[in-house]
Amino acid sequence: MMVRQNYTAVVERNRVFRGDFATEPYECGWASEAIFFVRKLEISGDVAGTRMRVQISGDGMHWCEEGTTLDLTDSEVDFAKVRHFGNWLRLGGALPVGTSIRVIVALTLKE
Amino acid sequence: MEDLRRALLRAHAGLSKFDPLSRIIFYDDFDRGLQGWSELIGNYEDSLDSMLPGYEDLRPPMLSNGTMWDTGSAGSMEGNYALKIATRPRAGHIAADVKRVTWRRRGPIRLEAYFTFKPEPAELRLSETDVRAVGVLFDIQDEGNRWMPHLRYLNSLNGEHLARWQFKRRSEALVPVGVTGKTRSHFHLASTNWENLPDGQQTLCYNEIATKYNWHYLRVDLNLASRAISRLQCNDRVHDLADVEPMIMPPMPNLWCMLNVVLWVETDVHKRAFLYLDSVILSGEW
Repeated sequence: MMVRQNYTAVVERNRVFRGDFATEPYECGWASEAIFFVRKLEISGDVAGTRMRVQISGDGMHWCEEGTTLDLTDSEVDFAKVRHFGNWLRLGGALPVGTSIRVIVALTLKE
Repeated sequence: MEDLRRALLRAHAGLSKFDPLSRIIFYDDFDRGLQGWSELIGNYEDSLDSMLPGYEDLRPPMLSNGTMWDTGSAGSMEGNYALKIATRPRAGHIAADVKRVTWRRRGPIRLEAYFTFKPEPAELRLSETDVRAVGVLFDIQDEGNRWMPHLRYLNSLNGEHLARWQFKRRSEALVPVGVTGKTRSHFHLASTNWENLPDGQQTLCYNEIATKYNWHYLRVDLNLASRAISRLQCNDRVHDLADVEPMIMPPMPNLWCMLNVVLWVETDVHKRAFLYLDSVILSGEW
């Protein structure tokens, strides 16, 4: 029996985001669906409601907004689902001045 | 029997490009997925902050079909997908991924792979010195020792094209991690203490611009009984291993029969460096 490929890449681990940020590009054209999980290890300031944006790229270097967003909440983990994204994915955004978060960003991919 | 075995290997489109020993321990063709390769990470206790800095961010592997901004998808050597290991765009950053197994007899083992490396094609320039190094290491433990053969192809350093194979036998300091006294760590991939192989110069096929890549053959033989690196071959060159030794250290408490393979890439500039593997095979005499 062939089962569908499924892979979780931890694209950021224990990384502090402040101001403008983007996760490292992840090449995953083999997958047809993805979930970004953002686990907040540490929060400084009020970040609830901050909007992160899923971004796609045709070459891994030039990016555009895919349209899916991930709104940070007071929960430990937030997520965003995305499909039909081509070959590269990342998560970008901007945190309010004076705030920061320490995060683990996991990208769960499925064929 | 040996003739039959050889004929069967030659008849297999994937295996025919390798010369494995009698038992295939793993054969990873990345058209079938990531095949058990994952990010290397350092030891920690209680907090990720307790990890040695060199281990904090060694990056997860990807499956790549070699898509370039100017020519589209190149695919891999056989099929569509290759394992891709990518650094951050920060000079000196290392990305390293691992496959972890164990051994069952102290005899010869052989790692073979088809690989290539390139910088991210972010500039319309030759960029042939942007990738600092690519390498392979093994992390092995038997009853007497933990030993770690380290080999790297030093492509460039601070912009100077060096194109030579190196090894590392001197261990880095083993330091305690956390407070229980049970966990220790050493960043053996540090840039210190690399030594040149005798006559280890080798020019590879960079091929003119950053979006063209050519696959290279790599073979590393080890002898688990004598704790020796017995062969390094890259394409047509079999390198002289006289005086080439692995790191050797006392055994550690919970690593019995460990056999880890690590592949890595290091960037020389503030630009991502990519190591691609079409396929990897580890074989042994057991």
